Amino acid sequence: MLSRRDFLKLAVKGAVLGNFYQLITPPLAEAVAAGEVKKLPVVMIETGTCTGDSISLDNIWTPTFSDILTNIVDWRYDWTMNQVQGDAAYRILQDTYEKLPSEYILIVQGSMIQRDDGHYNHVAYEDGRLITGIDLVRRIGLKAKYVVAIGSCATYGGPVAGYPNPTQATGVQNILPERRVINVSGCPAHPDWIMGTLLHLALYGEPELEKFGRPKLFYGETIHNRCPRRADYDQGIFATDIGQKECLFRVGCKGPVTYADCPIRRWNDRFNWPIGCNTPCIGCTEPGYPDLMSPFTVHLPDIPFPGGTKVNTDSIGLGVLGLTSVAITGHVVTSLAKGRLQKNLLRSSVKVQHRPAIKKVNTYHQYRLKKTKN
Amino acid sequence: MKHHVKLRKSVRKQLQKGNVEGTLIQSQPIWVRIFHWGFAFSLTLVILSGLQLHKPASFLALNFSKVLTIHLISCWFALGFLGIRIADALIRKDDSLIPKLQDLKHFPQLMAYYFFLRSSPPPGRKYNSGQLIIYTSWFVLFLVATLLGLASYWEGEHLIWVWRLVGGFQVIRWVKFIVSIYFLATIPVHIYLSITEDISRLQAMVTGYERKPTPNNR
Repeated sequence: MLSRRDFLKLAVKGAVLGNFYQLITPPLAEAVAAGEVKKLPVVMIETGTCTGDSISLDNIWTPTFSDILTNIVDWRYDWTMNQVQGDAAYRILQDTYEKLPSEYILIVQGSMIQRDDGHYNHVAYEDGRLITGIDLVRRIGLKAKYVVAIGSCATYGGPVAGYPNPTQATGVQNILPERRVINVSGCPAHPDWIMGTLLHLALYGEPELEKFGRPKLFYGETIHNRCPRRADYDQGIFATDIGQKECLFRVGCKGPVTYADCPIRRWNDRFNWPIGCNTPCIGCTEPGYPDLMSPFTVHLPDIPFPGGTKVNTDSIGLGVLGLTSVAITGHVVTSLAKGRLQKNLLRSSVKVQHRPAIKKVNTYHQYRLKKTKN
Repeated sequence: MKHHVKLRKSVRKQLQKGNVEGTLIQSQPIWVRIFHWGFAFSLTLVILSGLQLHKPASFLALNFSKVLTIHLISCWFALGFLGIRIADALIRKDDSLIPKLQDLKHFPQLMAYYFFLRSSPPPGRKYNSGQLIIYTSWFVLFLVATLLGLASYWEGEHLIWVWRLVGGFQVIRWVKFIVSIYFLATIPVHIYLSITEDISRLQAMVTGYERKPTPNNR
């Protein structure tokens, strides 16, 4: 726990240097400084990816990316960050694999391309042959201490696995069933989620994971539950168009079905986030993104039909209800025309042996049964 | 001015005498009727509130937290009524709602009747093959929707296997929507046929008794 004096000192230092990482990770900073904890060896393999998660991670604040490289982790292999290239770079990966088994953390960014044994995604050149992404991830992943998949593509396939998924892309867990993969999803993953997971691994080991293998501390609650516009939702005050300041539920916000802490963490150094910009959440951290979340302006996904046509679920629902109405109306009309309706009603209503009727027989209010022909 | 007419005892007796054809038999016991109307009412609330939660109607300015509360309470009630029906069926050893192969063999003939290719429906047990198929599908789909509903109610704290099996909240939402559409499409058919085919069956669902032709008339 920070004392008041420590807090003020850090606040002033942070304000001057913009460096708050000690505030966020004091035990790790102390442990690293005391030499009690070794810097985490980290290797990152990029497969079917746009490198968006690297760009996201570069923008971390705070700790800054330089703090991370200097004080927290031993960032050994990463295409985007490497100072060397070719064989020299690949040798670092090989050395880590051979000399630090069960010590290094493997970060995978990008989906696993499975079609044609993964030959649409070559990630290395070794002994005169091209190495596929799935081969390298499996080989390095089996000996890693932890395997962390970052971004929607590496976790659940993401946009690369979108319909019709020509490359048969999938998430890392599916090609590494022997290992528990820690999923840090998002398109891209928030830098805090990536670095927070790494720090947790360094300090406390594996974080508690939720149902889809994501750390509960970042993905434990739906966006909807923490949304600052939740009060609007509860009162039924909805935006009718994107850009308005009310709850964006009616324009397709996926906050109710998306687990992430965006409302409290926000993006770009906590400056803003999609709903803060009056655009709906698109559910980028969830499995099935983007197919299950698109179109982004309606709740339910379009359903693909053979031939490539996609029809909106709401339209299908309305179509089915319309068809039922037409069928019932048609049946009523035909039943009336054929006399079935009348026949059924007469058949199933009460039948009497003779219809009882009474008539007034005199002025003294005495009655007797009226005889009728049966 | 209202007159109170006094009938002679003999006349009154004659009027009260059973001069109506057929016999009254108990068709729907009390617990079946309680289930039917209770389930119908709560399911209607579940579907309507669910649709409102799914896509808020622009002409309704409802308090959504209350809509959600109504949805959840109605779900629990519907489940409770279904529990009553299952318990009742077990106690009475009632298998009238369990489809048998013999029932299903009559299904094409029943369809022929509904499409005016036959003049009368095929013989059947208490419920015809079409009813058995629809009721069984309702039972199965309601249980599926309940399981998915509970999974989303607990938001991933429990029933984690359901989440993994299904693949996420959005799929749960999608399946629940499709199930509601199925209910919305088949319930009007049920109401329509129950009114137009045999009105005494509908009466039985209120009074419990159905008038059947006397045995010698069969």
